Amino acid sequence: MNANAWLLTFSDAISIATTLILASLGAILTERSGVINLGVEGMLLMGAVSGFLVANSTGNLWLALFVAVLVGVVLATVHAALTVSLRSNQIVSGLAMVIFGTGLANFLGKPVEGRPRPVVILDVDFGPLSDIPFIGPVVFGHDVFTYLTWVIAAILSFYLHRTRPGLVLRATGDAPATVDAQGASVTRIRYAHTIAGGALMCFAGAWFMFARGVAWNQAATTNGIGWIALALVVFASWRPLRAIIGAVLFGFSLQVPFTLQSQQIRILPPEIVAMFPYVVTLAVLVALSTPRARRLLGAPKMLGQPFVRDER
Amino acid sequence: MIVAGRRIQLEARLVTPKWLAFVVPVLSIVVALVIGAVFLLATGHAPLRAYADLLDNGYTSFYGITDTLGLATPLICTGLAAAFAFRMNLYNIGEEGQLYLGMIGSAWAGIALAGALPKVVAIPVVLVAGACSGALWVAVPAFLRARLGTSEIVSTLLLNYVALNLVNYFIFGSRGFFRDPTTSFPQGRTVEPSVRLGALSFFTDKRTNTYPTLFIAILLAAALYWLIKRSNYGYETAVFADSPSTARYAGMNAMWLQSSVLLVSGAIAGVGGAMYVIGPAGKVDPGLLQIGMGYAGIVVAALARYNFLAVILTAILFGGLRVGGAALQASSDPVPIAIAVVLQGSVLLLALGGEIFRRNRLRVVKVSVS
Repeated sequence: MNANAWLLTFSDAISIATTLILASLGAILTERSGVINLGVEGMLLMGAVSGFLVANSTGNLWLALFVAVLVGVVLATVHAALTVSLRSNQIVSGLAMVIFGTGLANFLGKPVEGRPRPVVILDVDFGPLSDIPFIGPVVFGHDVFTYLTWVIAAILSFYLHRTRPGLVLRATGDAPATVDAQGASVTRIRYAHTIAGGALMCFAGAWFMFARGVAWNQAATTNGIGWIALALVVFASWRPLRAIIGAVLFGFSLQVPFTLQSQQIRILPPEIVAMFPYVVTLAVLVALSTPRARRLLGAPKMLGQPFVRDER
Repeated sequence: MIVAGRRIQLEARLVTPKWLAFVVPVLSIVVALVIGAVFLLATGHAPLRAYADLLDNGYTSFYGITDTLGLATPLICTGLAAAFAFRMNLYNIGEEGQLYLGMIGSAWAGIALAGALPKVVAIPVVLVAGACSGALWVAVPAFLRARLGTSEIVSTLLLNYVALNLVNYFIFGSRGFFRDPTTSFPQGRTVEPSVRLGALSFFTDKRTNTYPTLFIAILLAAALYWLIKRSNYGYETAVFADSPSTARYAGMNAMWLQSSVLLVSGAIAGVGGAMYVIGPAGKVDPGLLQIGMGYAGIVVAALARYNFLAVILTAILFGGLRVGGAALQASSDPVPIAIAVVLQGSVLLLALGGEIFRRNRLRVVKVSVS
């Protein structure tokens, strides 16, 4: 295999990582408030298909991304209504989101299946910077949203750890009763962050469609990326900046099977190589489950627990 | 929530009226059909005609209901598998992968061992082989959950993708044991005829798609119902589900309970895979894998509120949706089969929301503005 192919792998890994980062930032925001949204996979697909359909009929990238975000807001509001207001089981509601989102995306996407993407997000031109060997193509060869994603991660990190609302948010995930006693509304905080998280997830799906997808194809559009993003949240120990590191690692493992296939390298049968990203994710989860690692992780303490004032 | 000087609040019911147990699911289905109708209208299909076709092709015609019962057979298994784990707050969402493994394990037994055995022994052997391989597939997540407390949700789910690729490898990627050696076309090797059951004809001369495995699935549901309601083990799982600390205080072995429930859940899903081998497929068949039986099983279990006997009914209901949906896709005004999945998802979301009204009632209280 030549050096160029490896360069492309690194570059593509960073680009897959963008989807993973956006989706897991959405999940981090949601989970920090104490709500689990397992529906990431369904949200990604809904974002992808709604963005695709809008772009297909209008040709307007910005409108497409806006509609995708709007779809995320609607879906996440449903999840928040079920889990925060009606205190339904968060796990089952999230799974229902996956099933509903996957079904609806396939239903709406069926008429345009196999059609090529109507708009393409162009890479930023960094001029001479992209000519630096290795670093040039890997770091300076992406579109504007890739860089925006890193900025969003930094902003969210600042928000979570350096601002007052961020402190209240973290407290809501750890001790909602205390937040309630302080006079803040647990319900409002949980709604707001679940919805913001959903918007990020659907945006991630739409971006993935335009930047990485060749054509709308129900089976292969996300292919489990949503679940890997959930594992990434654990890997990042619910911290936005750490998600970037993990996303590049998982992005690389997702990209390697494609590189091996395109370079026609057959170390192992392609079906076995295709298991690689999922096995890597599982292995990372296992490594993080040792008692020592768990102490360092710091998951929100009341994650998945509905808050009811009377029952305190 | 305060609207117009009145606070709307939920109050816990002391007694749940019996009629609510029926009204909530029925209402969920009706509203889901309305949601589906909105999407059908938006994409230019006539909802009432589509639903009439769905009813006819999925439930009321002879071939419709027999196809539905056939499809419901493995769905009952994945539904039971999900219900068995979910009711103990163990979220095994890897039924899909466990079903594939059940198919592989039972096909192995059906090819390798069963030629030497009479039918009455061979079929149970094949079913047990499917159960064992399904349980094996969940063994790692079960161990991690019980020993280290790793969330079983993501780990079981990730293994679904591994299992899918494993099946593809056996059939498309290699010329191994599971592949039909007589042809270059990639398909599974057929198992011995002695481990297969013929389709039921329901006293007609027609050939249906319902197999006697349906009765095995129903028996399985009844057995699980007995296990949970009557046995010591079932009692312990119920206590653990309600309060893990109480169970631990009473001297129950939490590790054993958690891992055994997950293993049994995987085994039941594996039996579902074995039923394909005994019945319609007779081999490892990747074509059957694209229909998401595992995920549908979770919906079936949740809608049945994890009651094993109700799982049979909801599985038949959802099997019909799938069969009717397939007929719609093939009709002159093709509606994508994904409408069946949209309906499934909506029903689950609505039933989940409706659950709160079963346990609580809405009260409107006047509040004085201070």
